[in-house]
Amino acid sequence: MPINEGMANLSHYAFVATVVAYALAVLAFACDFAFGRDALGPLRPAQQPAADLVAVGAPPASPGAGTPPPGPAPGPPPPGPGPAVTPAGAGAGREAGRLGLWVRVAIGLTALGLAAHILGVISRGLAVHRVPWGDMYEFVTTVTCVAVIFFFVLMIRYRAYRLGLFVLGPVVILLGLAETVIYTPAGQLPPALQSYWLAIHVTSITLATGAFVVAALLAVVYLLADRHDRRAAAGQPTRSGAIFRILPAPKVIDQLAYRTVVFGFPLWTFGIIAGAIWADEAWGRYWGWDPTETWAFITWVVYAGYLHARATAGWRGRKSAWIQLIGFGCLLFNTIVVSILIKGLHSYAGLS
Amino acid sequence: MSRPPRCPRRHPRHAAIGPDARRVAAAALVTSAALALTACAGGAIAQSTPASNGQSFVSGASGTTIFGSRDAPPAPAVTGTTLAGARLSLSAFHGHVVVLNFWGSWCTPCRAEAPALASLAAAFSHAGVDFLGVDIRDTPASAEAFQRDFKITYPSLNDPGGLIALDFRSTVPPAGIPTTLVISRRGQIVARVIGEASYPGLRGLISKTLAQPS
Amino acid sequence: MTGVRTPAATGQPAQREPQPGGPRRTGGTPAAPFGVLGWARWVWRQLTSMRTALVLLFLLAVASVPGSVLPQEGIDPQAVQQYYVAHPSLAPLLARLSLFSVFAAPWFAAIYLLLFASLAGCVIPRTFRLAGSARQQPPRAPANLSRLPLTARYETALAPDEALAAAAALLAGKRFRLRTGDGWVAAEKGYLREAGNLLFHLALLGVLVAVCVGGMFGYKANRLLVVGDSFANTATDLDAFHPGRAVSATDLQPFTITLGKFEASYVTSGALRGQPSRFDALIRYSAQPGAPMHGYQLRVNHPLAVDGVRVFLIGHGYAPVFRVTDGTGRVVFDGPVPFIAVEQAGLTSEGVIKVPDAHPQQLGFAGVFLPTAVDVGGKLGSAFPAPLNPAVSLVSYAGNLGMDSGPAQSVYQLDTSGLRQLPIRPRPLAPGQSMKLPDGDGTLTFTGYRQWISLAITYDPGTLPALIAGMTALAGLLLSFFVRRRRMFVRAAAAPGGRTVVELGGLARSDAAGGFESEFATLSGEISSAHQARAPAVLEQGPGPGPSGPPAADDPTEGE
Repeated sequence: MPINEGMANLSHYAFVATVVAYALAVLAFACDFAFGRDALGPLRPAQQPAADLVAVGAPPASPGAGTPPPGPAPGPPPPGPGPAVTPAGAGAGREAGRLGLWVRVAIGLTALGLAAHILGVISRGLAVHRVPWGDMYEFVTTVTCVAVIFFFVLMIRYRAYRLGLFVLGPVVILLGLAETVIYTPAGQLPPALQSYWLAIHVTSITLATGAFVVAALLAVVYLLADRHDRRAAAGQPTRSGAIFRILPAPKVIDQLAYRTVVFGFPLWTFGIIAGAIWADEAWGRYWGWDPTETWAFITWVVYAGYLHARATAGWRGRKSAWIQLIGFGCLLFNTIVVSILIKGLHSYAGLS
Repeated sequence: MSRPPRCPRRHPRHAAIGPDARRVAAAALVTSAALALTACAGGAIAQSTPASNGQSFVSGASGTTIFGSRDAPPAPAVTGTTLAGARLSLSAFHGHVVVLNFWGSWCTPCRAEAPALASLAAAFSHAGVDFLGVDIRDTPASAEAFQRDFKITYPSLNDPGGLIALDFRSTVPPAGIPTTLVISRRGQIVARVIGEASYPGLRGLISKTLAQPS
Repeated sequence: MTGVRTPAATGQPAQREPQPGGPRRTGGTPAAPFGVLGWARWVWRQLTSMRTALVLLFLLAVASVPGSVLPQEGIDPQAVQQYYVAHPSLAPLLARLSLFSVFAAPWFAAIYLLLFASLAGCVIPRTFRLAGSARQQPPRAPANLSRLPLTARYETALAPDEALAAAAALLAGKRFRLRTGDGWVAAEKGYLREAGNLLFHLALLGVLVAVCVGGMFGYKANRLLVVGDSFANTATDLDAFHPGRAVSATDLQPFTITLGKFEASYVTSGALRGQPSRFDALIRYSAQPGAPMHGYQLRVNHPLAVDGVRVFLIGHGYAPVFRVTDGTGRVVFDGPVPFIAVEQAGLTSEGVIKVPDAHPQQLGFAGVFLPTAVDVGGKLGSAFPAPLNPAVSLVSYAGNLGMDSGPAQSVYQLDTSGLRQLPIRPRPLAPGQSMKLPDGDGTLTFTGYRQWISLAITYDPGTLPALIAGMTALAGLLLSFFVRRRRMFVRAAAAPGGRTVVELGGLARSDAAGGFESEFATLSGEISSAHQARAPAVLEQGPGPGPSGPPAADDPTEGE
């Protein structure tokens, strides 16, 4: 089937609009830091009485209960974060709806950008009559879309608005690179990629990568916030203290990151299995230590190490965050260096 | 209530008496266990991983295998077309000793053994020994040029599709090229030579087979 | 956790080790000297500990890195040779360390064998223990519930027995496993988590086993097939045969394949011009001699399955057809010669023709085939991969090809050490054109071209078991992630004033993500509602020491 040029153009313009909207949203988030009023309450949960933890967590369905909590119910147990998150949002509950102007503008721009982003992905798919993740350009645009969707859900659900700057910033850079340096015009796939396994394997890898991107960004924020907290506790002077005062607590960020990895890890596992099944159908062997396969395995091992570390006393916190970042580094190496520079069977899936 | 035992976890405290020497010895023990495992099993498994040899045909592990009269399998019924175009079958040679040689004009060890085969064929021509070739993956022009060059007078079956080798799959398959099979008067495959056949070696095999009762 | 009692610590004589039977909880160095058996046991304990398994797993990942960055023999031998040329002093050293065949190296095998042993030694006994304790009861409720991470406490007018019965009924309704005692109820839920965890690790073992089975009982083979030719799956007819350790030539499935037609189409316009869009190989095959022939359209991602073996279309190329007449006037060569592509954009292909039976001298030719020959500033190239304007250009040699003795040669390489180049300039030949060699050495005619496909034949009995093991591992992983093991305790005691004090305690055994707090709160609320429904009372909740409080040292914190 011939390429639908109209759809291809629409996709291209939609992605440009996405970059613009996200860039403006980043500006709005930054302005919120600089000029916004602290609508989410100045106190951090570490300074709140611990009683809030249980009080907030009591369900609204007990009419005779003592002090009914003001905040929203945390939601169904798994994977609800429990009351630990809501102290940051407890303030929001107390002043629900009174978000700062800049934050509202930023969220609106993010939503607009996300809509354009999704439009771009879908129209690209319609242009090429297949799932729109068949080459490096399509992969990057789709992964960033997935990452922003994840983050949007996290942000709204757990009211982690202030993390927007740290997630959208890299996304803007990635998308900008995608549109300029690695842009590939809409086209057919080579015969080796013409298989329904493309939809299965690359979709799960894309979703997992999106989740891992968000988790890695959260880990970076966690490490910075944790360092700030430790320095503040030790009485040392800290820079950019204002930002960390209004971000969620490091522990909260860490838990968010963990949950995101828990979401992404089975997807990554499934992606590897689906890739193995596809490799078996295409090349006759389900595992041949192709460089991309090898680095996907290495990434898997490091994230598995992160999960074990998180469950081991003494390795929680900073050490496991670093392990997670090493895992993300392996993922980046796999996506960028191995696909482009190292010759292997996956090479044709990269740049043409 | 009895506690369910579990895998030993990392224990942060170490025994008060646990000299470093013991730890070093322990580490050495584990390392040598690993090396021992390597030597025995690791290499064995490692060998099964394929590695390209850069050539484009299977040479096979060279060597001679001799089958005793009890386990020598009967040669299959082989029929084909010679390079000259005539139909020929192995059964036509029943009662004679047959030397069946799989070859190709493009194959260096086949060319190296061709003079030996030609002179053995001439030497045993009136002794009830017949030579028959099977030409693999060749074109008639190259095969005929080869036979002219090495003065091969015995016939060869043209087998571009590999069907004749397939006939031998359950008995004594030619496991590489060249392969030479020696078939007794009773029609049993008594020897297989993989790789270049030497004049004295093949001559000895033929003589021994001739000496067997028919 | 009890460590090994040392004489210095307790003043007792050093304990005799090893103790027969019974679990020991030691991770450190044994205190007293003991014999070979004791050392062996200690080594085994170290090997099967989770820390060792994780170290080995990381080691496996780290060991894979050179295998992905350096060229590997099994994947691209030409790249290895180029590496030798580029790094002449470093390359032999790397080869000695097996760094050009990492995944076949003994040290790599040692790592995954040790990992296999470690995993098996830990997971299999734990599986047996899980099976044995499938009906295990929750632990007793601790005497002091307020030391648990999550607690609640209130008073109710119900009698203690009634309160406990109501709580037990509610928890049983939520599928908690119950155990009752004098004045307390203990409930536990989420046993599937351990099952899922073990299932995942067992399945990983299964994957390793499947890989070993495939490696031992399977084989891989390759064959290049020109259009019009056929081949049989025998050792003499294959280009390469890599059997597993338990496979021999008699085990090859006896199918035959004939290549009737091959069609390749390429993108003709736009930015992706020249990229292949379709490959179709029309083949006929039969599972064994005498069986009927079937047709099949072989494409990438659509292998042929015959007799348990699968045949894959891996590559394709051109095989120009030549006829060579030697000095005596006889036709000494007439057939297709497969040329191998050296670049993908225009499929410029290189190849050699060897004519060993030419007289008076052996002849050899080396050159290129250009599907769409164009002259770019004096240099020949191919502008498009389809054969729109085919041409060959060859360099001619005569002399000794080196084929009459010595080691076997590759049919794609010409050994020019015994040859001299003939004084005839290579010029592009169109189909039908000839090249007359000087000194009466003969004539070469480029009569036409055919196409060829390369096939990969694989037989791997471990594929399906590996897939099943992989999916099982995923299922176990999901179970262990999303099922949490948690305990609820209820104590009801009579208090002065005719009322009953009800204490609730909760503990999550494996809750790194948090989340049990809300479930505990929900359950507490429901239990207290149930009590209230029968006897309204003042509700008074109290906080526990916080989720980061130290776990209680007695029974409830056990038995993960």
